[in-house]
Order: sequence, then structure tokens, then C-alpha cells
Amino acid sequence: VIGASNRRYAHIGDVIVAVIKEAVPNTPLERSEVIRAVIVRTRKELKRDNGMIIRYDDNVAVIIDQEGNPKGTRIFGTIARELRQLNFTKIVSLAPEVL
Amino acid sequence: MAVCSTTTLSIGGSVFSGQLRHWEPNESKLFQKPRSRFRWLCLNDLHLLRFRTKTLNFNPRGSLLPSLYAYGKEADDAFLSKVNEDTDEMFDDLMKKHGEVVFRKNERKSPSAELDDDTESLSFAVEMAKVASDVKAADIRVLFVKPLVYWTRFFIIATAFSRPQIDAIGSRIRDLAEKKYGKVPSGDAKPNSWTLLDFGDVVVHIFLPQQRAFYNLEEFYGNATLIELPSETQPPFHT
Repeated sequence: VIGASNRRYAHIGDVIVAVIKEAVPNTPLERSEVIRAVIVRTRKELKRDNGMIIRYDDNVAVIIDQEGNPKGTRIFGTIARELRQLNFTKIVSLAPEVL
Repeated sequence: MAVCSTTTLSIGGSVFSGQLRHWEPNESKLFQKPRSRFRWLCLNDLHLLRFRTKTLNFNPRGSLLPSLYAYGKEADDAFLSKVNEDTDEMFDDLMKKHGEVVFRKNERKSPSAELDDDTESLSFAVEMAKVASDVKAADIRVLFVKPLVYWTRFFIIATAFSRPQIDAIGSRIRDLAEKKYGKVPSGDAKPNSWTLLDFGDVVVHIFLPQQRAFYNLEEFYGNATLIELPSETQPPFHT
């Protein structure tokens, strides 16, 4: 987890350093490439101050580059609103649905 | 649309789970034709329930009041028939006949107040666009995205040809916004090939030409209405 020394778990909105285990062919990504990514959906619940709890069915991250721009052009699925407060409005603006 | 994913929302303690599964149509008269999307007429205020294609609950007994409307009720029966375009109208009619508003959020502003906010944001957006054109940014577009996304009202997209220019546009916009409107943007501090300034209702995107072509935001928001700008490249009229 970037910005937090030796944190055990990352949550939605954290930037993580990851390595690619499997890559779809014909994409500019290759296996065993070290990349940065932002977590956007987790199976662990996300709590909001108004009591809302959001839990997704999958764990998803969006690959970003060093500057924080998403590497892909489109994003699939829902994104939580919290990413906007964490300065990831770019990802939010590419998302089809913001919850 | 057979999407086998479940999104679970828990509001105030009670849990709704909507699951989409394949469901063979039964002999009930009401479910003769399979249906597609079901519009939530009553609860359009709540943004959650716009996601009609994902979470749908139906009382299987035949009464078409979706149990999602009654808060506090456990909505465990959920099924979805095979989707087809025909039954939208049928369900609209049934909603008109049987549907009732069970819960309405009180914070909804009246339409006139919302319109005032819109015009305010619009003038703000147009000012920002003017600033961008002063710095010679190319291809400035102002998109009215309120009907598409709920988290913002306007998008401004501009192209700058070099990083210092991006920096200049960004700082000018920031200064103007702070001086005139008192709004402080949250966004990138360092100039990025895609710089974003988030002013709440208005989001400013500044791209380099390759990034603009790469991300192609206009295509993504193609349904948004473009706002006409008083362009300064037009020759002034001499009467």
C-alpha cells in the first residue's frame, strides 16, 4: 500500500503496488510486470458516515501510472463515490455508474 | 440481460439483497411476457435505486409493489424473468394503477431552486471556459452532464499543447475561482498529462492532445448536451 508503511490490508481508494499474474493477450500489459493500481471494489464492506454499507461481489482495481492517470480508457462496473474525495475523479468520470 | 452479480446494499441495518437469476415464466397472467428494465417511478430521488438493472425485487405472489419500496422489510424473494422489450409499457400501466409512494426524501429541492443552482454553475463553467480560451487552449467544450451523472453538473474539456500551458490554465482557473466564487478545487497539484480540477458541480479536464484522443471523454459522454460558448475566435460584428 502506497503511503502507509507496511499496512496489512488495503481498502477502497488505496493505491497498491501489484504484479500481474495473468494477462489477456493483445493488451499492452504483460505478465510479471509491476504496476500500481487503485482499489475500486472490494468484497469487504465499505462504511459510510450516514450508515450506508456497500459490499460488492468482487475485488477490482484500476491500473494507474506513476502520475495517477488510469492506464485504460474505460472502466466497467460501479464505482463508489468515495473515490472522488480521494482525488480519483478521473476514474469516477470514466465510470458508467457511481454509487 | 443475465448478469450474475449481486450487489448488496444495507441501509440503516436492514439488508436488501437483489439477485438476478434465470427464471422460467410461470403461468401467472401478470407475467406472461418477459420484461426488460423496470423504471423506478416512485423513488427516483434516491440515487441508489437508479440501478434498476442490478437490483430488482418482486413479490412473487403477483402484487407488483416492489418490496424494495418498503423500508425495513426483508426482501428475500427476488427473481427476474427473461428480458424482453415488450413489457415495459405493461408494467408502467400497472405501476400507475397500483404503485404508491411509500417513502420520499424530504431534501429534494424544488425545481426552481435547482434551476437557479444550474444557472449559477453554468455561469461559473462559462467563465472557466473563457479563461481557458484566453490562455489559448484548443477545442474547449462545456458539457451539461446533469441528466447522466448525479455527482456533478458540468464538464469542461480543454486541450493544451504543453505541460507549462496546462499548468498556466490550471493556475488561472484556480485563481479566478477562488477570487470570484470562493471555490477551492480538489484535484492534481502537479501538471499531469490529464489534469483534473474538481469544483463540486463543475469538473474541468485538461488534456494533452494524445490523451484526449486516448481517453475520448466526449464519446463517453456523447449523450450530454453541448453548451454553446461565446467564441472569441469569431470575427466581431461591426454594425
